[in-house]
Amino acid sequence: MALLALTCLGAGIACGLWLFSGETARFFTGNSAGMLYLLMFLVGISVGLGKDVFRKVGSYRLRVLLLPAAITGASVAAGFLCAFLTGRPLAESVCITSGMGWYSLAGILLTGLAGPEAGAVAFLANLLREMLSFLVIPWIAAHLNHYTAIAPAGATSEDTTLAVLIRCTGEEIVVLAVVNGVLCSAAVPFLIRFLYALLG
Amino acid sequence: METILIMCAGVAVGATVFPAGLKKWNGRLQLLLTGLLIFTMGVSLGSRPGFLEELGSLGLDSLVFALAPALLSVAVVWPLSRRFLEKREEE
Repeated sequence: MALLALTCLGAGIACGLWLFSGETARFFTGNSAGMLYLLMFLVGISVGLGKDVFRKVGSYRLRVLLLPAAITGASVAAGFLCAFLTGRPLAESVCITSGMGWYSLAGILLTGLAGPEAGAVAFLANLLREMLSFLVIPWIAAHLNHYTAIAPAGATSEDTTLAVLIRCTGEEIVVLAVVNGVLCSAAVPFLIRFLYALLG
Repeated sequence: METILIMCAGVAVGATVFPAGLKKWNGRLQLLLTGLLIFTMGVSLGSRPGFLEELGSLGLDSLVFALAPALLSVAVVWPLSRRFLEKREEE
């Protein structure tokens, strides 16, 4: 799976850079939402076919919040580490990592708050996090555990990375991933604005 | 939000009318679409104006900002899930 992800990603970047005209590139990017919707519908079918998935997930009760809380806390904490490693301002650094993979929103918000360069780093960093997730989820699922496979995905575990998660884990983890993705995504805009006001 | 609603529609179809015999084909189609989606993300990135220049000037910082939260999330979630979630499976 990781090899497939890496091959598709590399081929896509190469085509975007050297092969495709602007029109062809726009054809692909313009239809990506449709592809994602179809994929989510098919993932939903897989979840629906697993008859007792929701009963199992319901049995987690409050522990269902453990993953989003841990991932959000770790992502924010990583911002402090990144400020030290890159020398960028603390507020900017913490806000970039608080994007949790939601690159479009993080890029736009950081551009407004801290300028275009911070916005570009936020965009690239969160996009790279999502791409990195495609590559590491299979390894994590095989060598650590299925719950941990959700961790690198952050806010993207409810959409794009969900497809990799269902290939490498199972229907129960997919439902936990959706819960995690929804809660992390809901937190991103508040976290970025709040942390920038607090630390800026 | 749309993706969640569409997924819920899929769950309803899977739980009611979808033939279980087509489960394997559903998985294959998911794999194909996943590959296509990752390819499209690559196209989107590669066709971004000034991508290589941006990558050259901001790439290292961006990589640090991508790796640190992903790795720290894994480092935090792994022991917590072993303690609170895996143990639950054994019960």
